[in-house]
Amino acid sequence: MPPAIETTDLVKEYGDLRALQELSLTVEEGEFFGLLGPNGAGKTTFINTLVGLVRKTSGTAEVFGYDVETEYQQARDAIGLAPQEFNVDRFFPIREVLMHKAGYHGISEEEAAERADEVLKRVGIYDKRNERFDWLSGGMKRRLLLARALVTDPDLLILDEPTAGVDVQLRHDLWELVTELNEEGTTILLTTHYIEEAERLCDRVAIMNEGRKVTVATPDDLKTRGTDTISVRLESSAATAPALDGYAHGVSLSGDQLEVRVDDGGATAPQLLHDLEAMGHEIADLEISRTSLEEIFVDLTRSEDRTVTRSSASDSSGGADDGAEESASKREPEREQEGVA
Amino acid sequence: MLSVGFRALFRREILRFVRRPKNTFMPPAITNVLYFAVFGLILGGRIDEPVPGIGYILFLVPGLVVLGTISNAFENASFSIFHGRWNEYIHETLTSPLSYAEMVFAYVGASAVRGLIVGVIIAVIGRLFVPITIANGLFLVATMIVIAALFAGLGIIGGLVARDFDDLTVMNQFILRPLVFFGAVFYSLTMLDPIWQYVSLLNPMVYMVDSVRYGLLGYSDMFEVAPAAFADVAPLVSLGVLTALTVVVLAVDIYLFKIGYGLTD
Repeated sequence: MPPAIETTDLVKEYGDLRALQELSLTVEEGEFFGLLGPNGAGKTTFINTLVGLVRKTSGTAEVFGYDVETEYQQARDAIGLAPQEFNVDRFFPIREVLMHKAGYHGISEEEAAERADEVLKRVGIYDKRNERFDWLSGGMKRRLLLARALVTDPDLLILDEPTAGVDVQLRHDLWELVTELNEEGTTILLTTHYIEEAERLCDRVAIMNEGRKVTVATPDDLKTRGTDTISVRLESSAATAPALDGYAHGVSLSGDQLEVRVDDGGATAPQLLHDLEAMGHEIADLEISRTSLEEIFVDLTRSEDRTVTRSSASDSSGGADDGAEESASKREPEREQEGVA
Repeated sequence: MLSVGFRALFRREILRFVRRPKNTFMPPAITNVLYFAVFGLILGGRIDEPVPGIGYILFLVPGLVVLGTISNAFENASFSIFHGRWNEYIHETLTSPLSYAEMVFAYVGASAVRGLIVGVIIAVIGRLFVPITIANGLFLVATMIVIAALFAGLGIIGGLVARDFDDLTVMNQFILRPLVFFGAVFYSLTMLDPIWQYVSLLNPMVYMVDSVRYGLLGYSDMFEVAPAAFADVAPLVSLGVLTALTVVVLAVDIYLFKIGYGLTD
């Protein structure tokens, strides 16, 4: 089987800005894959390229072996997308919205009705089936986006910031649901700002920055790339920080509190204790802090070249991640127009 | 062509306007009752027959049918596309496996249906004011379908190029309506000086109104004002040209969807 997603040297340019820069990425079938990156990293642009909402400038992008432009019908049929924006048909009750979406994917009206009921129950808003989108609460709207993505029974489920702005209960419900789906065989591509979410759910994560892939690894692998901190409380204050050359990346001393940054805290602690005692220090307490994925993420994205900025281009193109704010602001005057013609 | 996906989008588009008769069918119905009452009954009684054997109120019917049909076909398509773009729910369609041609035919088909329904409503209202006997039924039906599809297709382009709702208003009020009003809806070309007759022949709306008038009443201004070699077959030539134009516009629609004009980044 071809990979669920395979891109090679994918480039998207908005004028002078390169929102995606030679992005090559492979997501295997059945994988739970996370895309991490700061605002403007190109995550949404990447997703929209796969589903046909962004036309690539160069490179290739395939979904289950189908080119997203020349074989767009097969590629799109395999994808269910829950976007960041609330881009839902406001003219119809939500059950009909789901039936329409299923219909566009070639599902008969009768089956579409059954599927709509099924997914509404699955995301817990079946009792709101006859309401229009505007009358749903924020959390329900988020659930509906997931229901709409699921109603076509996709092989590849793309979730673009699915838990942004939702309460803890809903976040856990969504985590549970997508985990179930992945266990049932659905490939999942998740973008998120929440490191905990990626760490908890994803088999592998790609960190993106400024349209580039910084790295791809499992969350555990990533965490080994960071430095741990060994905090040592000495029995008595020291005048100067001890010299711990050879394994310490940094040493700081504040009174009786010594902090030492090392690659692997667990493996290095005995050596550190030995060295400190050899220098005449007495140890009162010791604690090892593992590097969080969040710290590694910040390190990796901070060290990237930031000469190309996203903000200037998104103002003119409305291209990528900043689209949510733009959408929200432009919706306001529209309400007055709704239903006019 | 008639895939499940196409039928689903077509149905969605039909339901959108059918469920909002106050916004879609009532306004043209009321407006045309007023047209027939004021221009037909009150003023029309004081106006001589524009052409021999056809009273003014009867003469008005085809033009008003065309005006209502093309306005609604255009408005429906442009609004549906633009509203979907504005609220971004057109993404539901764009991210589906529908082909670009299926998308366009569904939007155009549904919008043409709305235009045709409005045209029939106006004809029925006209029938309440004056007896009408359809002269060339097949020709009338063919012409109505073509012009409804043509303006639905133009509405797609309008919906794609518009940047805000004001642009849609400008297209309808400042371009479409003047062309229709100077398209011999309320007068016969034979009432104009020869120079204005020739100027009028540059207005494409003239041929649409005239073709529908020929289909409905059996009378065509072209028999009188078109160049002699062309006059006898003028309605058929008009229908042929309009059909070709419609095919071109639909091809442009499909191309614009394919390149994602106004739809994708």
